[in-house]
Amino acid sequence: MELAKSAYLTKEDHAPTQPKLLTHPTVKAGLMGWLTTVDHKRIGFLYGFFALFFFLVGGFEALLIRTQLMVPNNDVLTAQQYNTLFTMHGTTMIFLAVMPLSSAFFNFIMPLQIGARDVAFPRLNAFSLWMFVAGAIILNIGWFLPQATHGAPDGGWFGYAPLTSKTYIPKHSIDYWVMGLQLLGVASIAASLNFIVTIINMRAPGMTMMRLPVFSWMTLITSFLIILSFPAITIALVELMMDRQFGTSFFEVSNGGMPILWQHLFWVFGHPEVYILILPAMGIISEILPTFSRKPLFGYPIVVFSGAAIGFLGFAVWSHHMFTTGMGTVATAAFALATMAIAVPTGVKIFNWIGTLWGGHLQMRTPMMFALGFVWMFMIGGFSGVMHAAAPADAQQQDSYFVIAHFHYVLIGGSLFALLAGIHYWFPLMFGKKVSEFWGKLSFWVIFVGFNVTFFPMHFLGLNGMPRRTFTYDPNLGWNFPNLLATVGSYVLGIGIFIYFVVMVYTFFKGQRVGRDIWDGRTLEWSLPNPPPEYNYRVTPTVHARDAWWYEKNHREETEKEQEAHAQEEEAHGGIHMPFGSIWPLITSIGVLIGAIGVSALDAGKDPKLAVCLVGGAVMFIGIYFWSLEGNEGYHIHLDKDGNVVREEHS
Amino acid sequence: MFKFLPTLVRWSRIPLVLAGTALLAGCEYNFWRMDGHQSTIAVEGPVAREQLQVFYVTVWVTLVIFVLVGGVLAYATLKFRARNDADEHAEPPSQSHGNPLIELSLIGASVLALVIIAIPTLRGIWYTYDVPEADKANAYEITAHGFQWWFKFEYPAEQAAGENNTKMTLVTGNELVIPAGRPVRVHLRTVDVIHSFWVPKLAGKVDMIPNRANHLWMQADKPGYFWGQCAEYCGDSHAVMRFRVIALGPRDFNDWLEQQLQTGRTVQGNVASADQPRAQFASLRTFKQNEAGISDRFDLQPLEAWKAKQAPEANEDPRLVARGRELFSQKQCNGCHTIRGHGAGGITGPDLTHVGSRTTIAAGLIENTPEQLQRWIHNPSAVKPGNKMAVGYIQQKITLTPEDEVALVAYLLSLK
Repeated sequence: MELAKSAYLTKEDHAPTQPKLLTHPTVKAGLMGWLTTVDHKRIGFLYGFFALFFFLVGGFEALLIRTQLMVPNNDVLTAQQYNTLFTMHGTTMIFLAVMPLSSAFFNFIMPLQIGARDVAFPRLNAFSLWMFVAGAIILNIGWFLPQATHGAPDGGWFGYAPLTSKTYIPKHSIDYWVMGLQLLGVASIAASLNFIVTIINMRAPGMTMMRLPVFSWMTLITSFLIILSFPAITIALVELMMDRQFGTSFFEVSNGGMPILWQHLFWVFGHPEVYILILPAMGIISEILPTFSRKPLFGYPIVVFSGAAIGFLGFAVWSHHMFTTGMGTVATAAFALATMAIAVPTGVKIFNWIGTLWGGHLQMRTPMMFALGFVWMFMIGGFSGVMHAAAPADAQQQDSYFVIAHFHYVLIGGSLFALLAGIHYWFPLMFGKKVSEFWGKLSFWVIFVGFNVTFFPMHFLGLNGMPRRTFTYDPNLGWNFPNLLATVGSYVLGIGIFIYFVVMVYTFFKGQRVGRDIWDGRTLEWSLPNPPPEYNYRVTPTVHARDAWWYEKNHREETEKEQEAHAQEEEAHGGIHMPFGSIWPLITSIGVLIGAIGVSALDAGKDPKLAVCLVGGAVMFIGIYFWSLEGNEGYHIHLDKDGNVVREEHS
Repeated sequence: MFKFLPTLVRWSRIPLVLAGTALLAGCEYNFWRMDGHQSTIAVEGPVAREQLQVFYVTVWVTLVIFVLVGGVLAYATLKFRARNDADEHAEPPSQSHGNPLIELSLIGASVLALVIIAIPTLRGIWYTYDVPEADKANAYEITAHGFQWWFKFEYPAEQAAGENNTKMTLVTGNELVIPAGRPVRVHLRTVDVIHSFWVPKLAGKVDMIPNRANHLWMQADKPGYFWGQCAEYCGDSHAVMRFRVIALGPRDFNDWLEQQLQTGRTVQGNVASADQPRAQFASLRTFKQNEAGISDRFDLQPLEAWKAKQAPEANEDPRLVARGRELFSQKQCNGCHTIRGHGAGGITGPDLTHVGSRTTIAAGLIENTPEQLQRWIHNPSAVKPGNKMAVGYIQQKITLTPEDEVALVAYLLSLK
């Protein structure tokens, strides 16, 4: 990323009288530049970087799982290792890969799409990022500690009480899971509030809500889902933490605790979480299909509205994860019907995507291939979802491989395909380079074939009675061949992902340079040079139509005149205002990290647990204190007509 | 440099497709037929059948929609695809924004399709929840308890003979015997974490949750031997927490009950001294981790195998059995296990009063043969990681010589 070339200062620009501690970091390059950055694009890049790293970790865990299940009665892994791996595979993929990768796009693309220069709270944005990293560290720290007393989390990604209580898993693995998820929750909620405020307040003039690009709409809806659903799991995790650390009895059966309570709290979060994972993907698809069909999204209002409807209904279906918990007839029926209802807005989206293709000029570029792959795979995943909604059928499918097939079709064929499509789609904008079509398409086909060979047989495994989360199976149950096939498929999928990433890294360093707007895009971000400068827009754009950039391209003269007028106005107001970098979000997160290690890794009797927690709290407090003293001033950038930086003014 | 690759990729599709077809055609017979022991398709009871019918409705409805929508999608993709440079650089098509009429009618159609699924779903929810009114009086009641990692089955209506002419509720472990052709109501309880009771051929699963009184009902059409498994992750050995359901005709069921209600079988004989056991198997061979412990005969005629297991072992050595009985209390096995009439009353582990008549041990994991039984008591945690019997060995400092193991095996297998 070459965002920092313009660090240009003269002596008189320096702020004269700030105390040393409160000097704003002005460095933009090097490690300190990255650690203190508040630039939404750099933060987005870092989110993407960490997310892709953990995506590869989660993928490696999946390959180990598949290797163990390749043949019956295999002994590559012990039961304990297997249970840890499936727990961490799920937790990693959901919280450390797909969510932050979506967040990377929210950060990088959404402000560009709405014509903003940054998010509403840039330092809070940096805090979200570092809290996410802290959460990821806590979740994974157990791998590197003694397995008998620590170990990575092994209670399942759903952590059902009372298995997670100290009675049944006394070691620290569950504490890491609890604290890791808590930190990730803080990160997600802070980021979501930021996005909501940004979208509501910082849209360019003329960008009404019904002109907002669908991806930004989905960012908004997803952010609302996050701030409404994460409190539920936060409460559940606090209760579990209390049970484990202070001997309370929320889920402790011997003292009258209620394990079923955990399931309700977890799924009140857990089901909206599914839409937190899929709605951004739907947003990406709704950007890519129109671009490569060269016509507007079919039925924009209905696509947006159905996204919102999915968000609302997503809160009314959580108990379909609990059809086998003996809820009784009426509750089961209600949740079954609500779940079926959610298929309607989902189906509507698919109809509208097909409507977008209809009559278009489809350009089969790599992002389009992934997007079409998404539509097909998501359709299959959606149909098996309807099968689960029929509660009596679900009694057989619940916790079987049929469910595994279903949600991997939705999460890989759905979320992941869309995210991979999004990386291809926005890569030229982010880095000014374009991935080779041949290698891009090759990776798509290998991933597509590998994915289907892995997960399609799992439908049959599930119907043939193979339960999930089992480290071994006997050879006489008819499961041998589908398991072998799935394992071979997973290796093919692994190779496809490997090709994808090698090509990406190669392109990043040595790829072919491309100019502005190589896809002939429709939304505002494509009006920017690539990579986009730190201030994004030389002149805040004025929006006249839903596909704002498409409109600009077709009304050049009018737009240019308007922009010149606005440029002069902005210059008269003192140039482009940019926020200073700050180290305090990072310091605050480090404080939280230290505290979380104190809570999760140490034993009160023999370790200085309280001391470590207090040190962490103190560091966090110092971070917040100086953060608040720092104030919110920034500096101004003055540009000439071609967008070159004339000077920067530091107040 | 890689100019040849696109052509290569294009041509490599042909053998790929051929290989795929061959693979699928020649594969294991029951992949597509799905008639394995835990099949939800080859069902053998009314509850599972109802659930299957609902499933088929969803399959047909979604299949029709998939063909229609997928067909349109495929057609649109092929028809409107840019085929050449001219297409790529053509003027953009008409910038149309949508058509409310089409959208509303598609929404209407989806709602209709869902109604088709909803009706049998609602009927199924009520039908599968509890035994139908008309049959309720006829229902046989069982209470199943989940343990880490095995099942205890209680027969509340049956009073079995205990020590000194006392009576106690009949209890068995891991193999549930039920009357065929009669509804069975299973009350689901757990003593520790959440488990789930699942016999796919008879009924979908219902969870065993602490502080919650769940139940399910099932019915076997005819006598049979069914595979079941815990379906909720419950810790280390969740994967090997299995069980069996044996459905018997009325007369067989009564015979079985009568046998079960008696105390443990006693074989007359003197104790063999430690130096002269007749070893049935000189030394235990080494087993691989997770090695299968089930022989093929179960797949062929499992119910017959079960019936054969009800009769005393052919080459029973009374002296060895007596020695085993002695060891059972010496080694404190009775601290956890009950053997009615033999002075063993522990309740932490499965009731072993008639363990010799079961086809499997270690919760349906391995076959109840002398060799597998010795494998189990020799080192339980090698068979079932983390299980409580291994913990008991360590806590009580229990060690067994090969001779002890052989004697214990002979004793346990004599308990018919």
